Amino acid sequence: MENSAPAIIFDRVSKSFPGVKALNSVSFSVAKGEVHALLGENGAGKSTLLNILHGVYPDYEGHILLDGREARFRTPQDAIKHGIAKVHQEIQLIPEMSVAQNIMLGYEPKKIGFIDHYRLRVMAENLLARLGSDLDPMSKVAGLSVGEMQMIGIAKALLHQVQVISLDEPTASLSDKEVESLFRVIGELRAQGITVLYVSHRLEEVFKIADRATILRDGQYVGTYAVKDLTRADMIKKMVGRDVSAFARRNRPRAFTDEVVLRVEHFSRKGVFSDLNIELRKGEILGFAGLVGAKRTDLMRAIFGADSRDEGHIEIKNKTVSIHGPRDALRAGIGLIPEERKTQGIIRYMSNADNIGITCLEKFTHWGLLNHVQKRKNCEEYINLMDLNPKDPDYVTDRLSGGNQQKVVLAKWLSTKADILILDEPTKGIDVGAKAEIYNLLESMVSEGKSILLVSSEMSEIIGMCDRVYVMHEGVITAQLEYGDLSEEAVLHYAMGGINK
Amino acid sequence: MKKFYTQREFAIVIAIGIMVLLFTIVNPIYISGGNLIDIVDQSTINGLLAIGITFAILTGGIDLSIGSTFAIVIVTVGKALGAGINPFEAVLIGLIMGFVLGAINGLLVTKMHLQPFIATLGMMSVYRGVAYIFTGGWPVLNTPGFFRKMLDGDLVGNIPVSAFILFLVAFLGYIFLKYTRFGTYLYAIGGNEEATRLSGVPVDKGKILAYAICGLTAGLSGMVLLARLGTGEPTAGQGYELNAIAAAAIGGTSLSGGKGSMLGTLLGAILLSALKVGLIVAGVDTFWQYIATGLIIVVAAYFEVIQSTLGKIGLTMSKM
Repeated sequence: MENSAPAIIFDRVSKSFPGVKALNSVSFSVAKGEVHALLGENGAGKSTLLNILHGVYPDYEGHILLDGREARFRTPQDAIKHGIAKVHQEIQLIPEMSVAQNIMLGYEPKKIGFIDHYRLRVMAENLLARLGSDLDPMSKVAGLSVGEMQMIGIAKALLHQVQVISLDEPTASLSDKEVESLFRVIGELRAQGITVLYVSHRLEEVFKIADRATILRDGQYVGTYAVKDLTRADMIKKMVGRDVSAFARRNRPRAFTDEVVLRVEHFSRKGVFSDLNIELRKGEILGFAGLVGAKRTDLMRAIFGADSRDEGHIEIKNKTVSIHGPRDALRAGIGLIPEERKTQGIIRYMSNADNIGITCLEKFTHWGLLNHVQKRKNCEEYINLMDLNPKDPDYVTDRLSGGNQQKVVLAKWLSTKADILILDEPTKGIDVGAKAEIYNLLESMVSEGKSILLVSSEMSEIIGMCDRVYVMHEGVITAQLEYGDLSEEAVLHYAMGGINK
Repeated sequence: MKKFYTQREFAIVIAIGIMVLLFTIVNPIYISGGNLIDIVDQSTINGLLAIGITFAILTGGIDLSIGSTFAIVIVTVGKALGAGINPFEAVLIGLIMGFVLGAINGLLVTKMHLQPFIATLGMMSVYRGVAYIFTGGWPVLNTPGFFRKMLDGDLVGNIPVSAFILFLVAFLGYIFLKYTRFGTYLYAIGGNEEATRLSGVPVDKGKILAYAICGLTAGLSGMVLLARLGTGEPTAGQGYELNAIAAAAIGGTSLSGGKGSMLGTLLGAILLSALKVGLIVAGVDTFWQYIATGLIIVVAAYFEVIQSTLGKIGLTMSKM
């Protein structure tokens, strides 16, 4: 592959935003028909580079050569016309229309001015066939899975005879099976000579799918490597520029005791999960492993009272408590750090002080009036504890990076002094450095006698961080593993519905 | 902290200043003390409604029924006064009534999960019907002089009581929003209702309270009009909700919730009134008022867009 003419050459590409140099003279080339991964922490410049390539930022320094010819796109549409397409993280489709209509949207074949529905279907079918997808072109988009919608996005790109397709975190919300079929499609694209740019935080995927990888750090080009020449540790080291040996590993002694702080009994909701029983011990990090559709989030929301349940009983420190809403959970000392930070965690327009203080304003209220000084003090305490960047109580949380936002959501529950914390995918979409900090916080929390329920889809987190793990499969607990017995193989076995070996 | 000159309120003050300057050039009477007092006085009815609706809008909702609530309170208080009830008690009845009617909206929005627009559109019609039935469609006459002086007389010199009421209510609203936890909750609900609920905040209680406050100020506004006119019409207040929304929007309240301030709304109401009075003083045909008001709303909304873009640039600059 190295011998064919490069599909893309980035030649000293730089991009500045007021006050920030997002890309600093980045040069590398992407070979035709290869799967080329772009790696780096959040803020390394991957998105900026893609946005430049796709015409989102037409003002940049340096040159981009496509097939040896200089290209500079003014808009994403312009880029698509020249064969450069991007499949978005969140694909915009029209749910009430069919798969075929969505693929052909805006480019419907016409016969005497009217849409030729027969040809429209055939064209869509052909595009799907090129991907090796068995999606029915006539089915409605509403009700399709994220993975299936992604196929539509890719098919749409093929319609424009693209040479280059960028995928930005395409597997973020896919099940393992969907990831597999996405990889198969990427293989098809490669076989057809299409170049794929692949951005992902999941290094395992990069090893599986990519030929070469370019690593960026703080807007600087670090290097381009054949993936088979690198180990995972090498990659991380190059991305962060330092050794992250402490990654998803316990650095302090285990803190769990025999005292059961939370007992969940006979939790059921029709069609979702049935007869679940859980015991959480003081100082324990209790993991919940499983694949997409294991209903772990549903269970956590039911324990927290955010969703209703048909049956079930909760005991905290051997006393029955009645939890039928988040407010009850707050009073009982349970906190939830939800999976969707943007839609469920952070409050728009609000400062860090308010986002953190929202759970415990009663504490700062005297004679009916809110004491802003106390609220800020509380915020500053956690800002320092968590090393938030920037350390500003008045900064609008919305504008922080993902990792820092997650720290704010954590802080809002720590400031309630909740003893039991439910963390649902706490490191989803945040960079390597911030992950390590979150792991460190988890350890310090349990060493202070708090107890944690940790839902995670990252195997390294489940195996590296948990004292004990419940493995779930389609609403049922299929296994309970102690930390000594944890292995990737075992967890996967039970997560895929395996019974006791 | 944000710089004062990036704040919405500062921009409105500038806009009012420019407006005063222009109208004064056209007709120097505009800057006279009497006329300035008149501007504020003219803004009280809409200002009180706007303060209330700001609470509903902050939660991400809307209350279209305030004009009808306004009318119910006018005719009820009018009849009560006619029946010889003590004016202080009548005011209390009016306030409670507005509060309850607003709370009913809040219940529809929270407990029945109706969209605020539809729920209050329905209640707009229901409340209006109640006002008609209660009066048989006739105006309520003979409002006692003491009541009229109490709400619309002069406080000291020629400062009107109603202006004092407006500023007092705006001040209380400011205190509520800034210095009570429910004030913060209202912003939070509008900013992200789901995240707020998941933070253990009593979201329903907050919303009901917001709509109740909205009804309360609508009732108060109605009583000021009753005092001003001396008669209570069941047709009063039709379309007033739109002016109130306009004042709040000009004041920087985001119609999707989570953003806005009492000072902004108060200034928005005063700006609308300054424009109206100015056009009259300048001798412009009243029909032009509609166009001018509409343009101000559009310009204010566009200003919001520009300001947020500038804000973002300022933010990246400060990262240096």
